[in-house]
Amino acid sequence: MSIIKSIENRKSHSGEIDSILRNLMSLQGVSAAAIVDSDGLVTHIHRDFEVNTDALGASVQIVFGAASKAAKHVGHNLANIVICENTEGFVLLAPIESGFMLALVTEREALLGRIRFELKETIPVLKKLFLSFL
Amino acid sequence: MHWFESQILTLYKLAEAYNFSKIQEGNDVLNISEQGRQKRSEFIEAVQALVNRVIHSPGVTACTAYHEGLILAQSGKTPDIDALGAMIQESIRVAQKGEAILHLGKIQQIVIVGDLNKIAMITIGPIILCVLSPKHTNLALSLSQYNG
Repeated sequence: MSIIKSIENRKSHSGEIDSILRNLMSLQGVSAAAIVDSDGLVTHIHRDFEVNTDALGASVQIVFGAASKAAKHVGHNLANIVICENTEGFVLLAPIESGFMLALVTEREALLGRIRFELKETIPVLKKLFLSFL
Repeated sequence: MHWFESQILTLYKLAEAYNFSKIQEGNDVLNISEQGRQKRSEFIEAVQALVNRVIHSPGVTACTAYHEGLILAQSGKTPDIDALGAMIQESIRVAQKGEAILHLGKIQQIVIVGDLNKIAMITIGPIILCVLSPKHTNLALSLSQYNG
């Protein structure tokens, strides 16, 4: 069976990923939403401030890698969502598929429950999308 | 049926529609994604709108909505929003134990009355809506009419 997918298929999936990121950006306090690949490279990003995408991508993978190891050490199996609470806001990380990650950067006034709720609902959809075109 | 009851009923329907959209299976990932997002957005926006309106009822000091103990929407003044979230989650957990033991059915409301203030918690799908007021406030009367 051929694993080559049509470019139209990829385009529509990429468009849907953009819609999902746009939707996440519309949440109160969210200032950046990005998809980062397993090498720490940002493949999709929506943001409303200047951010070093290389630094963001690399730190996302490092932080999630460390959290995953910590989860394993304490017998929690897999890390589903990593939340970093910082002085000026939150960073939320969630694994998608094949090492791809969703990263959200928020300001302090973000409603954590609202963002986590949206993240938990969005991840299964992103998994399906990535599975169908990877 | 008074104003608040009708609002809660609308939210129940939106929560049901959203839940239904989640269980729809199929290969059309793009359409399912879009539909799910739309239904979720309708539900959450309605929750936020109700939270913003309830605060205008006489005697109500704050109205909040939580998902798994984390804040989802808020209006008014709450002393410690994180502590309230944790307390709500714990109250729901304890009540759910009673649900099975006492055959109460699915938990819909919990009211905790202190000697100063009281808090009413209402479950709507995956969300807990909380209304805070002074102890003496008649919440049923207060919420029966929209004063926005």
